[in-house]
Amino acid sequence: MKKVVSVSLGSSKRDHKVITNMAGQEFEISRLGTDGDYGRALSMIEELDGNVDAIGLGGIDVYLYAGDTRYAINDGLKLMDAAKKTPVVDGSGLKNTLERETVYYLRKNTGLLPSGCKVLMVSAVDRFGMADALTELGCDVTFGDLIFTTGIPYPIKSVAELADIARRILPEMVKMPFHMLYPTGAKQDSQDEGKVQKFGHYYHESQVIAGDYHLVKRYMPGGLNGQLVITNTTTREDLLFLKDRGAGVLVTTTPELEGRSFGTNVMEAVMLVLLGKAWNDIKPEDYLSLIDRLNMKPRVLEL
Amino acid sequence: MATHGEITESLQAFHKSYQENERLKVMNKDWNRTVLVIANDVESTHTLVLKEGELSFQEGRQGDPDLTVISDSGILSDMFFGDITPTEPYLNGTLKIIGSEDDIMRLDFITLLIWGE
Repeated sequence: MKKVVSVSLGSSKRDHKVITNMAGQEFEISRLGTDGDYGRALSMIEELDGNVDAIGLGGIDVYLYAGDTRYAINDGLKLMDAAKKTPVVDGSGLKNTLERETVYYLRKNTGLLPSGCKVLMVSAVDRFGMADALTELGCDVTFGDLIFTTGIPYPIKSVAELADIARRILPEMVKMPFHMLYPTGAKQDSQDEGKVQKFGHYYHESQVIAGDYHLVKRYMPGGLNGQLVITNTTTREDLLFLKDRGAGVLVTTTPELEGRSFGTNVMEAVMLVLLGKAWNDIKPEDYLSLIDRLNMKPRVLEL
Repeated sequence: MATHGEITESLQAFHKSYQENERLKVMNKDWNRTVLVIANDVESTHTLVLKEGELSFQEGRQGDPDLTVISDSGILSDMFFGDITPTEPYLNGTLKIIGSEDDIMRLDFITLLIWGE
């Protein structure tokens, strides 16, 4: 049996373990949250190194993309470097492929993403594939990277402007401690009430809310009217939260395993094991063919 | 080490670039803040005021600051001239910014949007 462990800077309340079979291979997949404790994540990775088949990094992105440029977050790179034998992935490689495909799938197979529909992506630099695909299919997308991360009430309306702002900001931002860029630990269990009040209208004005679940949740106001939410990692509690806020449909990009969808970092770690290749050698076509083999389709759930 | 006059010149350059950046003015429309800039190695204090997207600055201390930026004169002038970004000196402790984390982040963004390449 192959072992994959996701070490997350997120809350340990979401810890989970499943045994599953993928493409004829037995996997034990577990998720270990460190409640925002960066040092603990670092030592956990050092302990797991050489004892598991692949490690996923959760609650932190290592690579951000805008246009053709990739930016690496220093804190994330340090975590990756903590393992010398076992490969460590953050999900960004798969995200770029899988989430793009999710958007195409929804357009082709459902009526959930009509051309011109208003989409709010709470953050796009962490899932540029999705941002690019939504734009390509003619959705009216608002990128909330500045609004929600920095509190600057400036909706970015095109991928070109997103890439321009990213080019100016990200080379420096990636040097900042990760907790200044993204909710970690206990922050993942709470909402930023100030921003919910101030920027909740962006959710109300949209038909589709897309992006990282922790960000989607952190700024989501109540009183939604049936919006579609496209995200990755959700638990049963998350479904209740989304329903309570008035969301209508949930689409998760990764498959459900025993009641929850694991993050893309976990799925990327699994795929790395199945492909038997070094991360740098994996091409989008490799992911696509494995997605096909695994018959991985987005989960569409009426709330 | 820079002089008070050089820091003033760097703030003039910063101000000019800000004024020419219409996008930044739109971004800051809701952010009314007073920022005190203090050099810790020469006698030099300036006050930046952001109000409804417009930026102004004066020599000396004016009003109660929401943010206080403290560093040596060389770093301050280099930073406001755009020769260095605030990130490194902030992270290594040679640049101190007193204020809320959200405001610090936003000030950093403004500087990067003005000078970032």
